[in-house]
Amino acid sequence: MKKMNQTTMRRLISVGMLAVLVILFTILAGAGKGNFLHFDNLIEIVRDASIPAIIGVGVTFIIITAGIDLSTGSAMALVGMVMANIYEYTLWPFKVMVLCGILVGILCGLINGIIVAKLHVPEFIGTLATMSVYRALTYIIAIKDANGVIQSEPMTHSQYVWLGYGIGKFYYLIMVMLVVVVIGQIILRYTRYGTNLYSVGASKKAATLSGINVERVQMVAYIFTGFTVAIGAIFTTARLQSATTAIGTNFEFNPIAAAVVGGVALSGGSGDVIGTLIGALFMATLENGVRKLDMNTSYQYIIKGIIIIAVVIFDAVYKSRIDKAAKEQGAKEGLE
Amino acid sequence: MKNINWGKYSKPIILVVFIILLSILRPKAFLSLNNFSNVLWSVSVIGIMVSGTIFVFLIGGIDLSIATLCAFSAVVVVEVTHYLGDTPKAVAIGVAAALAVGLLAGLLHGIIITTFHIPAFLVTFATQSIFLGLAMVFTNNKIVSCTVPAFTAIGSRKILGFPMPVYFMIVIAVISWFVLRKTVFGRYVYAVGGNETAAAISGINTRRSAIMCYMISGLTTALGGIVLASMTQQASSSTGAGYTNDVITAGVIGGVSLLGGEGTVTGAIFGAVLMGLLNNGLNLLSVPSTHAGLVKGLVIIVAVAFDAMQHADQSRKKVKKVKKAQA
Amino acid sequence: MAGSTILEAKNIYKSFSGVPVLQDVHFEVKAGEVHALMGENGAGKSTLIKIITGVYSKDEGQIEWEGKPVEIRNYQDCQKLGVACIYQELSVIPPLTVAQNVFLGREPRIGPFINYAKMNKMTQELIDRYQFPLKPTTVVDNLGIGQRQLIEILKGLSQNSKLLIMDEPTASLSGKEAEMLFKIIQKLREQGVSIIYISHRLEEVYMLSDRLTILRDGKNAAVLEKEEIIPAKVIETMIGKVVDESAGSRKMLHSDDSAPVALDVKGLTDATDRFRNISFQVHKGEILGFGGLIGAGRTEVVRAIYGIDKAAAGEVTLDGKKLSPSPKASIRAGIGFVPEDRRNQGFIPLLSTTKNVALTNYDIVKKNGLAISDGDELDMSKRAIQAIDIRPSDPDKQVGVMSGGNQQKVVLGKWLMRDLKLLIVDEPTAGIDVGAKDEIYSILEKLASEGVAVIVVTSDLQELLRVSHRILVMRKGDIVREFKNEEVTQSKVLAAGQGVTEEEAK
Repeated sequence: MKKMNQTTMRRLISVGMLAVLVILFTILAGAGKGNFLHFDNLIEIVRDASIPAIIGVGVTFIIITAGIDLSTGSAMALVGMVMANIYEYTLWPFKVMVLCGILVGILCGLINGIIVAKLHVPEFIGTLATMSVYRALTYIIAIKDANGVIQSEPMTHSQYVWLGYGIGKFYYLIMVMLVVVVIGQIILRYTRYGTNLYSVGASKKAATLSGINVERVQMVAYIFTGFTVAIGAIFTTARLQSATTAIGTNFEFNPIAAAVVGGVALSGGSGDVIGTLIGALFMATLENGVRKLDMNTSYQYIIKGIIIIAVVIFDAVYKSRIDKAAKEQGAKEGLE
Repeated sequence: MKNINWGKYSKPIILVVFIILLSILRPKAFLSLNNFSNVLWSVSVIGIMVSGTIFVFLIGGIDLSIATLCAFSAVVVVEVTHYLGDTPKAVAIGVAAALAVGLLAGLLHGIIITTFHIPAFLVTFATQSIFLGLAMVFTNNKIVSCTVPAFTAIGSRKILGFPMPVYFMIVIAVISWFVLRKTVFGRYVYAVGGNETAAAISGINTRRSAIMCYMISGLTTALGGIVLASMTQQASSSTGAGYTNDVITAGVIGGVSLLGGEGTVTGAIFGAVLMGLLNNGLNLLSVPSTHAGLVKGLVIIVAVAFDAMQHADQSRKKVKKVKKAQA
Repeated sequence: MAGSTILEAKNIYKSFSGVPVLQDVHFEVKAGEVHALMGENGAGKSTLIKIITGVYSKDEGQIEWEGKPVEIRNYQDCQKLGVACIYQELSVIPPLTVAQNVFLGREPRIGPFINYAKMNKMTQELIDRYQFPLKPTTVVDNLGIGQRQLIEILKGLSQNSKLLIMDEPTASLSGKEAEMLFKIIQKLREQGVSIIYISHRLEEVYMLSDRLTILRDGKNAAVLEKEEIIPAKVIETMIGKVVDESAGSRKMLHSDDSAPVALDVKGLTDATDRFRNISFQVHKGEILGFGGLIGAGRTEVVRAIYGIDKAAAGEVTLDGKKLSPSPKASIRAGIGFVPEDRRNQGFIPLLSTTKNVALTNYDIVKKNGLAISDGDELDMSKRAIQAIDIRPSDPDKQVGVMSGGNQQKVVLGKWLMRDLKLLIVDEPTAGIDVGAKDEIYSILEKLASEGVAVIVVTSDLQELLRVSHRILVMRKGDIVREFKNEEVTQSKVLAAGQGVTEEEAK
């Protein structure tokens, strides 16, 4: 007897959710120019999905190890503000500035990793705390005028402005996102580290017994997330052409939501980066559609929250049924 | 071998050191009666909330939706009062409606968490977004104000020189202390947080206890939102922003273990006082409120890491002991 | 088939804080044999295995691998030699495929990338060689426990292990899964792999093993060749003839049928078939012992009676009143329950003796309005402390930091504060020192003399014989034997639990 693979099944569900949403908005918000199903608008959706998807790759790694990161939004703001400072107060070349941004992102990830893996602070508490630490640091280093009032300093580096565009409608951001997603998927599926991530998430005990260094696997996941956060911050500031203290407020919700919708179980050990990309597209489509329908954009917060709870409940129920079925099947089948 | 229990004395020591430090650095501003009442004011909202949220902490749960539920209930009380014509009766109905919202939110949390065995942080993380959206929708994303005297009295009227919220805090804290310390339900809360399986075998309905805890937490969060709205005479989707962290930090400083089963209301109120002093002190030292997050975040990390270390240490010692006993 | 000696442990001594656990033990495994290891609880089987796998260090003695002396300091050392241990607690990773699990941490690679084609091929080769019913690309999620165990075995084989250690491998398997495992074991033997097979179940040992080493009280009791493995002889060797004839291991059972029935269980059947159609009665003042092997379904039966797990069918009445299946209803009806896993199920480690003792008794603690009377609560705990001598006697002491024996007294103590009609205790003295054991026995006896019905589930035969007035033996989910008003010995109980007939046992 042939059963459908769980992963394939779950993928079909998230693709189905996305398809239903697209069809729904096409019916409600039309297909012509300026409407929902127009090429320009679709590209816009992909562009909006890109930053949650990029950071979502890192967050997916963390969630696969049964962890979580609530600090991505604040870390993004901090990275942006460090770069703004370099832009404002130094004559360092563009590349050095970006490099420093990436280093700060990695450092934020490293700190999260140490708190979670070495100090054994529960993930959501530790990263909730660094969320407020990174945000506070952003305020502390924010560029102020003589009276101490925070200034939003424009960053108009020519190369920087260039990053916000693309080849025609194909924004560089979308290209980078695709590259990060592909690399993330390859790491997950085709390297030893990827296998280790799943092992740690499924059972830390079993992973240790198999000779996997659990702490190191967790650390690397957080550091990698810091790296994706930095990329997100670079493109966000490039698009805004400035860094503000408000960047990434409530952002941490987005990559996690994308991962959850895309089938990355928060209990760890399942899901992949492609799923997260689908989830990010779903969320961006939702936001876009709500806008096109001239609905109060506040509704999207409600809808997002409900969708997450619904998906999580579905996954919990589905998983317990699968486990039960496997047990019964095993008991019946025996040798043949 | 004399073993001084530093844990027992650490709290008063921290408090005294902090007060001395502030008195030296900013003697005039800090020691004034006016400032004292200011501190009490900022303490009271955190105190009201943590007196209820402690129930959730004690069963090993968490509530990440504190801030937005606070905003939503603030919006509800103001909007309902408006809708019913800004009369004192309307205020009463508004307050009741906001409290009902808090209870329902807690009920929802409790049912989802216990029925599907989904981690509390995840459920409250999602509902946080829902409450935020609801607060925005109800206010059309604007600040709504309410200056009905019957309403503003809740937060700003003074009795014997102290603002009303202080009395609210004292009453709520005493009730919470009584429930936890003196009633059967309180005993059950500690048992469920300390060892859920053993509690269930002892005939405790662990599911019902957990749902009750989330409802209590929702209720006090809503009350916090009402008081906050009344104090500021307005409500918006950002009412109570930052309170999730403040309440958790207050609990953690007060010795409430986020791993469950450990902590007291007196400790949590102490934590709230320290948070109030911290907010006030940083303010007096001209540290902007946006920077306070640094200190609060570090406090959480250090406290919880210390907690986790002690737990690991205890279980290691225990394993050794058991091995010896078995041999 | 069996060839040269592959592993030999000579003159092994081990003691824990002065108490000898292994004394001059000798153990030898030949290439290509299934060598069973048996012994009662505490005979030293697991200590011996832990010394071989490097978990414990030996005090004295020598281990030789293929004739050469070796030092095994940790599990890695033992893996390097070619020994693999199939853990009872499986270490397979559900979201990965069979092949990924088999080669976890040792994946063949091209550059940084896993070579799946090669890995699947290598796995398939192993599967073909030993004819396992598995496919390399199946995700483990979809497999039952039996197949997951096979993956563990494959993992060992993929590291060219010559010796597999299986510790109670059939404990959590269904009948069909166990059959599958037995066939695999036969094939492994044909391929020249040696297996150390640890089991309580005589029929499995009888069917599978080429030789059998029996330990008793930390010493070699016997090494039996295949043709010598006769149930009666094995049981006799495990218990020891001398022991069986001594006073403590031989008992005349007396139960008083005229006493009114306290508990009446009719046709109790488990939803997941761990026990079926269980019917029995317990009289007032009677101590009913439940014997049988671990996993025979005894714990599950008492959990269902108390209402922790809901039975699929059957009826439980106490003093003629039907019980509804929930711990709370059971407590109110007068049942007390001491669970098997004390640390995880018995008490609240962070709370004091007082609060642990009072936990089930708030219906009888005095209250002023809503407030619990602290004085009355403390009084209750002091009574418990005095009644059964809990140490330290400080009622505010956290139970988590006490010794095992005193923790158990706290767990037991809370029931003594109530009007009990029935007390159920599951493995009441596991991991407890001798002094505390005796105290717990006398508590049970005292309760019975006061007219309380007592059910004792225990795997310790000595204990079973010592406390019981009547004994029921379970095997594979059924009650297979009742010992009542007759002379009983450890051997007889063990034989019944093993499914060996009385004739064979003689």
